[in-house]
Amino acid sequence: MSTKMRKPEVLKLAENLDITEATPLIGELLKHRGADIKIDASSVKKMGGQCLQALLCASATWTLDGTHIEIITPSDDFLQCVEAYGLHLSHFSSQEPAL
Amino acid sequence: MDTMAAIKQTFFQECEEQLVELESGLLALEDGTSEPDTINAVFRAVHSIKGGAGAFGLEQLVRFAHAFETALDLVRGGKLTATRAILKTMLSAADVLADLVRITREDGVADDAEITRMVQQLEAISHGGAAAAGSQPADAEPADDLDFVPIQISLADLIGAGPSGTRSFKIRFEPKTGFYARANEPLVMLREISRLGAMRVTCDQTRLPSLTELDPEGAYLAWEIHLDTESDESALRDIFEFVEFDCDISIEEKQVEADFDTDAFAQLMSLASGQTPPMAQPLEPRTEQIAAEIASRNESETANRKSDANKGFNQAGATIRVDLERVERLIDLVGELVINQAMLSQRVAEARIARSSALAMGLDELEQLSREIQDSVMAIRAQPVKPIFQRMSRVVREAADMTGKSVTLHCDGDSTEVDKTVIERLTDPLTHMIRNAIDHGIEKPEVRLAAGKPESGHIRLAAMHRSGRVVIEVSDDGGGINRERVRSAAIAKGLIEPEAQLSDEEIDNLIFLPGFSTAATVTDMSGRGVGMDVVKRSIQALGGRISIASTPGRGSTFVMSLPLTLAVLDGMIVSVADETLIVPLTAIVETLKPSTGDIYHMGGDSRVIRIRDTFVPLIDIGHVLGYRNKLADPQNCVVVLIDLEGHARRALLVDTIQGQRQVVIKSLEANYRRVDGIAAATILGDGRVALILDVDAVVENANGKAASSASESLDLDHDTHARAPQRAHDFATELEPEPVE
Repeated sequence: MSTKMRKPEVLKLAENLDITEATPLIGELLKHRGADIKIDASSVKKMGGQCLQALLCASATWTLDGTHIEIITPSDDFLQCVEAYGLHLSHFSSQEPAL
Repeated sequence: MDTMAAIKQTFFQECEEQLVELESGLLALEDGTSEPDTINAVFRAVHSIKGGAGAFGLEQLVRFAHAFETALDLVRGGKLTATRAILKTMLSAADVLADLVRITREDGVADDAEITRMVQQLEAISHGGAAAAGSQPADAEPADDLDFVPIQISLADLIGAGPSGTRSFKIRFEPKTGFYARANEPLVMLREISRLGAMRVTCDQTRLPSLTELDPEGAYLAWEIHLDTESDESALRDIFEFVEFDCDISIEEKQVEADFDTDAFAQLMSLASGQTPPMAQPLEPRTEQIAAEIASRNESETANRKSDANKGFNQAGATIRVDLERVERLIDLVGELVINQAMLSQRVAEARIARSSALAMGLDELEQLSREIQDSVMAIRAQPVKPIFQRMSRVVREAADMTGKSVTLHCDGDSTEVDKTVIERLTDPLTHMIRNAIDHGIEKPEVRLAAGKPESGHIRLAAMHRSGRVVIEVSDDGGGINRERVRSAAIAKGLIEPEAQLSDEEIDNLIFLPGFSTAATVTDMSGRGVGMDVVKRSIQALGGRISIASTPGRGSTFVMSLPLTLAVLDGMIVSVADETLIVPLTAIVETLKPSTGDIYHMGGDSRVIRIRDTFVPLIDIGHVLGYRNKLADPQNCVVVLIDLEGHARRALLVDTIQGQRQVVIKSLEANYRRVDGIAAATILGDGRVALILDVDAVVENANGKAASSASESLDLDHDTHARAPQRAHDFATELEPEPVE
């Protein structure tokens, strides 16, 4: 697939992913739709429920599109948030497409 | 039945409910109509069956359920995507589980090869899922430990909390949009809960839309938390105190599993087996403890009606299981009550007691009360058709697999309620009709594609209430009835004369003739020598009617019209040649006094009556049933206009109308034998037996009589028709009791 030949683009997440970040985050994600993407979570200190929704949604959408998405260099705070939400990193990565 | 057997029976009854839940959940997941909690409900169903089976040492059932729930647990945990292929396997596994439950209940022998094959398929799914998730092995215990309570005995109530005082809660927390709008964060709540004890969190993502549809400020996620804590429920509720209107919260205390008092358990089991145990300590204090617990729960409920914390507890008290035999007995007794009340009314009328007298008015009230009791008792037996419709989805799957066709089933109106007896007796006819539709109706995929149809065939099963009856439709989008082939087959089998002129409708109805089959080869499914005639007889035995409409190339629709109950009927009491008959009220459109000018003779015994510029065939009931040889003079009679299935109308000629009454149906087949033209019998207020007319059969008989002089074409049961009236008359004479003094 041609998209796999390109170097995945990287989207860096903000430090504080609160409610005000949800709209810009969705906008940014939609800009990259159709291409493989890596999400840089190295700076994240807080992640609210609505940005969490946006990232999980992106993972499902990328999976359906057959493109790749993954979190790279997650900060400790990000990992703690993910765990506290009852999730793990694989939930933010694209999976094998459903039939 | 001993206590353990009764408990086991309850377990199997609950298995039936869990299996329905399981199948409906899997189907919802398959067609994309699932709710956020669907996968949990599906898992819970299998887990509960496993738990109960384990308690009774049903090892095969436990092993199979374990393999099944392992796969389901991976889906539930988000480690495995429920693709169509996986859901198909799971639906097959649900079928095997249902078979296994049934076989275990009947102490039968299961097909080991089939179970092994299915377990292997489930394990393959689980291994695939676990490998993809890179985590737990497939044969590990599922992470969750949802409680199964096969019988309504709460160990927690008997033994209290564990000695350590640890309590276990299941919390579901679902923020609404307002929750975020008021700057709340779920993470804060989750961290607060975690401070109370050890917790396990699952995030429910099932309501998440696609990214393009995502409202940045919407709320789509929910969390399920299992908490082991020494705190009580109020501590949990305090966490949500300020957000309770901005989220849905449910808190359930789970039954304690570990650390239970083995003495108490031994006492309980001994009680169940009827033995006197060596009691370590008396049971009474614990009974008081339970009573105190119940009292405190009731107080808490009153104090906080908004709280749904006790939902499960209250729900358990809202329903009871009752043996069907007891309900049947109650229905019989109410039937007798209604007959008795009718007799009493008749006696009062005969004694010429004024209607305004206290006695007559009291009797009116009794009549009303009897009717209400009867309606309420009937409602106990009424059940939605959903379980039987769901059973048909398995029939469709199996039939489609067997024929190599792709078929989807769509059900409408599955909440329509009908008497349990009717439901039970619908399974076989529906199964046969659906198999028939797939085997003979739906075309092979390549044929459908060539005809410009979707590759996958479609069968629709619909139920609805109409004019006091329940109507069930089975329709398919297949090729429709091949009339030329049907006609040829009927001629070849000597069912019709080669020169017979038949309308399309008459040709379609040939498929209901005994022994009729057009299948070129006998298939595994249909074509076993029993055909649509069996279906028709089954429906007729239920007091129902069946009709067919078919369009070549577009499919067929079978319409069954059934009574809501087999116990009572609203009827019009009429006199015909000194006999008393009941005409079901649901069939009657109007009654009228005919005038001579409106009657036209059509040759032979055929007559029609003009009713507001429409000509309707006139049928003399007395003549058709053989009560009189000569046709009655319409001038001395009353016409009862009836509506047949398919909206055709007929005018029945009766001598007089006595009144209208609800009558208790007494089966003619059970007490005597089947009589053509008569649906059942009843006992009137004066103790006399009255026959209830099967209006469709009477009309058919009348058609047969009219046609017999001209043609031998369609009426295939001349002997029966000729003898039936005499039999009906014999029965009335034979069974009529002495009038009650």
